[in-house]
Amino acid sequence: MMFQILQDNWLLFLIGQYPHGPIGGLAMTLFMAVLGLSLSFPLAIVLALARLSPYRWLRLPATAIVHVVRGLPLIMFIFWVYFVAPLVIGRPVGGVETLVITLVIYEASYLSEIIRAGIQGLPKGQVEAAKALGLGYFPTTFRVVLPQALYNMLPSMVSQFVSTIKETSLGYVISANELTFAAAQVNNQLMTQPFEVYGLLALTYFALCFTLTSVARLLERRIAAERGSGLSIAAVPA
Amino acid sequence: MIKFENVEKWFGSHQVLAGVSGEVNRGEVTVVLGPSGSGKSTLIRTITRLEPIQRGRIFVGDVDVASREVNINRLRQRIGFVFQAYNLFPHLTALGNITLGLERLRRIPRTEAKERGVRELARVGLADKADALPAKLSGGQRQRVAIARALALDPEIMLFDEPTSALDPEKVGGVLHVMKALAKSGMTMIVVTHEIGFAREVADTVWFMDGGKIAESGAPRIVLNTPEHPRLKRFLARGGDH
Repeated sequence: MMFQILQDNWLLFLIGQYPHGPIGGLAMTLFMAVLGLSLSFPLAIVLALARLSPYRWLRLPATAIVHVVRGLPLIMFIFWVYFVAPLVIGRPVGGVETLVITLVIYEASYLSEIIRAGIQGLPKGQVEAAKALGLGYFPTTFRVVLPQALYNMLPSMVSQFVSTIKETSLGYVISANELTFAAAQVNNQLMTQPFEVYGLLALTYFALCFTLTSVARLLERRIAAERGSGLSIAAVPA
Repeated sequence: MIKFENVEKWFGSHQVLAGVSGEVNRGEVTVVLGPSGSGKSTLIRTITRLEPIQRGRIFVGDVDVASREVNINRLRQRIGFVFQAYNLFPHLTALGNITLGLERLRRIPRTEAKERGVRELARVGLADKADALPAKLSGGQRQRVAIARALALDPEIMLFDEPTSALDPEKVGGVLHVMKALAKSGMTMIVVTHEIGFAREVADTVWFMDGGKIAESGAPRIVLNTPEHPRLKRFLARGGDH
């Protein structure tokens, strides 16, 4: 039965109604996840640096933003953006745009915590060596600290990407044309096979996310091995 | 060239520097000896404000290090610092570690910076390791790259914080060799170390620190051969404290 459904509807699952209608399905899911996460990335770096700043006027607002966003469910943000954004900009905002905007705000907070952990996890000697050379804040941050912190945090970022993929399924509630939405369309058409349709949906998500978490694990092992070979030696104060 | 005036520093309620005064002249090598916790590493870290001080004054030339008007990054560029744990940038090659400062601080174009970097590596005997990441180098090689990194910026002063303490015994010689050559070239140096032999051979002045103070100082042949301070006598009898 599942095979039959897949055979009849795989194109819808994959790319939605494209080219006869809007692009959707898995393609849209991936598109939104990638776009959401990449747009949130620079924002996340700014938030992380602000949270670690010695200046209160930078640190406090950034900390507040991160805590507020992390303390609220994603669906609430989706509703806020969906219903409030049109009032602000004076025109309706589509489901896909809404979801991407929401993801940028939401993921920026989570990513910033990952980046902050990466920065704080670096041996103290790295910043000290940069200081001792006479490098200022920006070259130290962008040439010494971030390249290492971001690289070390790659596995966590891939995990965050997995979360993002799963979160795009909430786009269903605002009719963002993504994978879950496609499954619902199929289900509405067939009417009688929800178990098979949603089973297929689950399998698709799982295959994608499991592959990615495996990549994350692989990366983690590789980075740990590189570190183990003496990339960073703990300073022994005398 | 470097002058300490009654320098005091606390970590919380623990006083690490309890009124250090002393002077290092241009072209001289000062070796700082002392047991662990005597404040010797902290002392040289105060010179470039890696550690702030709470009382007293430190001058580098006529620059008051603690003064708010000092451009600390400019001061640091005049002073090379070598760490016990090397602190090389692990994501950059040996050459990249050296050219970073040249490009960002001296605004030297990349190709020129690379030529200069290779020359500095050759000076510490590692010209063939230019493209190696620090993880692929031995401890001694890493420390020599760290020295080359500091020297590339043409410092007037070089500070060494236990540069050989993290090394296997057979790797120590190569690093000391580089430091001796540097001393001979007339570099102003302060070296915190446990290598009493190095002090004997290279130092113009030895400072023995104990309890956050310079307990004894003078020419090495006097301080090391006829020590007066009881702690120094014990220290030398043990062959240096590790």
